[in-house]
Amino acid sequence: MAGGLSLYAEGSSFLHRAHPLTKGVLMLSAVALAFIAPSVGWVIAILLLLLALVTAAGVLRRLLTVALAILLPLTLLLLAVQGFANVNNRTEAFALGPIVYYREGLAIAALAALRIACLVCATFLFSFTTRPADIAEALMQRGLSPRMGYVVQAALQIIPQTLDTAGRIQDAQRARGLETEGSLPRRARAYLPLMLPLVLSSLVATQERAMALEVRGFGLAVKRVARFDFADNTYQRVLRWLLAVAVPGAIVARVVGWR
Amino acid sequence: MEVSSTALVLEGVCYAYEEAPREAVSDISLTIGEGEWVGVTGPTNAGKSTLCLLAMGLAPHFFGGRLKGKVTVLAKDSRSVSVIERSSEVGLLFQNPFTQVSGARERVDEEVAFGPECHGVARPEVDARVEEAMGLAGITHLAARHPMELSGGQLQRLALAGLLAMRPRLLLLDEPTSQLDPAGTAAIFQVLDGLHRRGTTIVMVEHRLETLCEVCPRVVAMVAGRVIADGAPEEVFNIEKVQERVGMPVFTRLARARALPRPWPVRLRDAASAFAKSIA
Amino acid sequence: MGVLNAFRVRMNTLAIVLIPVCIAINWAGHALAQALHLFFLDSVGTVLGGLLAGPWVGGISGLLTNIISSGSTDPIAWAYCGVAFAIGIVAGIGGYYGWYRTWAGRITLYVLIVLVASVISTPININLYAGQSGVPFGDALYTGMVKSGWPTWLAAYIDEASGDIPDKLITVVVATLIFFGLPNRYRSLFSVWRRPSGEPEPAPAS
Repeated sequence: MAGGLSLYAEGSSFLHRAHPLTKGVLMLSAVALAFIAPSVGWVIAILLLLLALVTAAGVLRRLLTVALAILLPLTLLLLAVQGFANVNNRTEAFALGPIVYYREGLAIAALAALRIACLVCATFLFSFTTRPADIAEALMQRGLSPRMGYVVQAALQIIPQTLDTAGRIQDAQRARGLETEGSLPRRARAYLPLMLPLVLSSLVATQERAMALEVRGFGLAVKRVARFDFADNTYQRVLRWLLAVAVPGAIVARVVGWR
Repeated sequence: MEVSSTALVLEGVCYAYEEAPREAVSDISLTIGEGEWVGVTGPTNAGKSTLCLLAMGLAPHFFGGRLKGKVTVLAKDSRSVSVIERSSEVGLLFQNPFTQVSGARERVDEEVAFGPECHGVARPEVDARVEEAMGLAGITHLAARHPMELSGGQLQRLALAGLLAMRPRLLLLDEPTSQLDPAGTAAIFQVLDGLHRRGTTIVMVEHRLETLCEVCPRVVAMVAGRVIADGAPEEVFNIEKVQERVGMPVFTRLARARALPRPWPVRLRDAASAFAKSIA
Repeated sequence: MGVLNAFRVRMNTLAIVLIPVCIAINWAGHALAQALHLFFLDSVGTVLGGLLAGPWVGGISGLLTNIISSGSTDPIAWAYCGVAFAIGIVAGIGGYYGWYRTWAGRITLYVLIVLVASVISTPININLYAGQSGVPFGDALYTGMVKSGWPTWLAAYIDEASGDIPDKLITVVVATLIFFGLPNRYRSLFSVWRRPSGEPEPAPAS
């Protein structure tokens, strides 16, 4: 499998079965709209919609576990900094000892945090319901060059292998006495003795691999034949168009005065 | 479809790699007919691998370098056909089983399908070829496995299956079993034997002379970039120059040590009867 | 202009095969950096790929690293695709002109990469994080600056640059040292893109 990389969670919800392109457009337009929408109310609406889809896909618990781990520290940092230091700060909200927090900054931080939450949820929604192999296949069916498709597929396999190698090199070098803890200069000095063997072992045989690929016809300029077909239907096509149009439409609305 | 009775023809071929001080092969002229099984052997730097690369077109297309003379593979000049264009009729199996896997497929059967997919072959045809190739290579039982779980011998058969899915008329092998154990080696030769019976032309670089003499009806001996002998194994390995510069199968060495009458045997069976006779 | 030649040659199979390896080096480089609590260091593969094989290899390696990251542990990474892509392009241009050969060149490479990374990241930070970078040290600088009356955009830039300066220094130093640690024969395998005529590769190992 794509090792520990893929977040794909087995399932048979309508999201799992949807065409990868639909999900991709959904993700991108949800994020775009969250950032174009002018006020917290709209962003919360988008976030709730995304969470509803996440629930429908059966991955709510999984998503909350990983999303909160990312979002909580970010949100706290945003609130702490913007609430204290934002240029628009005027109205006091509360004080922690000598440090005063203001409503304007907190509101801006909240809006930013909610938008990021939309981005995170939309991205995870896509990752949880789509197999990486399907993404590559869908892109190639829509015109991505097979050589680029190969690059993605090969990367997904080689990344976990290289991470394993990195772990082993780390253990081996530590056993030889490499200092990996302590002051910044010491840790920085440890980086090259770890990276060099890793890179050398990764680069070995690239020439052989390239030859072996050419011997099999890699890079031939022929029309690609689909490996398998995705379920697509009119509803999905219409949805994709609607979403694609909604984004520039929202931008226009903002320009014209949507507050 | 091109009809040719010759699979590989080299005429006065000299080739030097880019920035190399001397030529890897010098003035080679060789004709290999369709359906032949030819073994190529010699000491290191004899130019054996280069011969395979020339036949595949990797020299000069992949490596650059300076090519003189004419290399004609299946009636087409190798200079005018790229490697990937060649891949539908010529295959090359390298030594290292681990670097020939595409690395982009998660199942053995999908890996075998890689070549035909690159060629834009229609889906039902791809499936048929994959089944056929896996059968020929004896790896049908591994179809659902992940390529990274396979042993060296299995990987080499997988690589071979990947080439066979293209149904090549000419199959080149550069020391295909040097990194395999005896079981893996035997399995590969079984596959090659089957291919030979079906009419595939096979050119195989092999430095184990006993194996070479056993399976190849014709042997080409190379030294320092030149062909020094070309013929049946029993002829080639009874030539003194070959015995000196390339070596001899162990049976031949034993026969010499026992001062048996010439010509000395090169295969186990012939050696056995020759020794039996000498004892009787 | 001369530099456009660096972009003109179609990537050959060798260059294509290098890209997934550079992506994996980015990942492993980042994992090792995390183990050492040492900044971010997720662009060593990008820079190495650029130096070795040109702007397309460098740029695509960076771009795909961020996209694949987004599909895995870091869903926000794809917002910064442009940064990673730009770093690879700059490294590729540096490779084309052989900046790695001289100290002046190496410093130029480092400075340009820091500039490109910080300049492109800052507007993204402004839209995403109200100008913060998400790194505590940098955000502390940001806080101080804004409170002292500096313009937000400048505070945001200093915030971002304060992280990029050390991070990209180690990245460029390590990538360049590794580049020189590679066998000569290996480096010249990829040099086709440096020559306008696109001559192919030298001999394999005997």
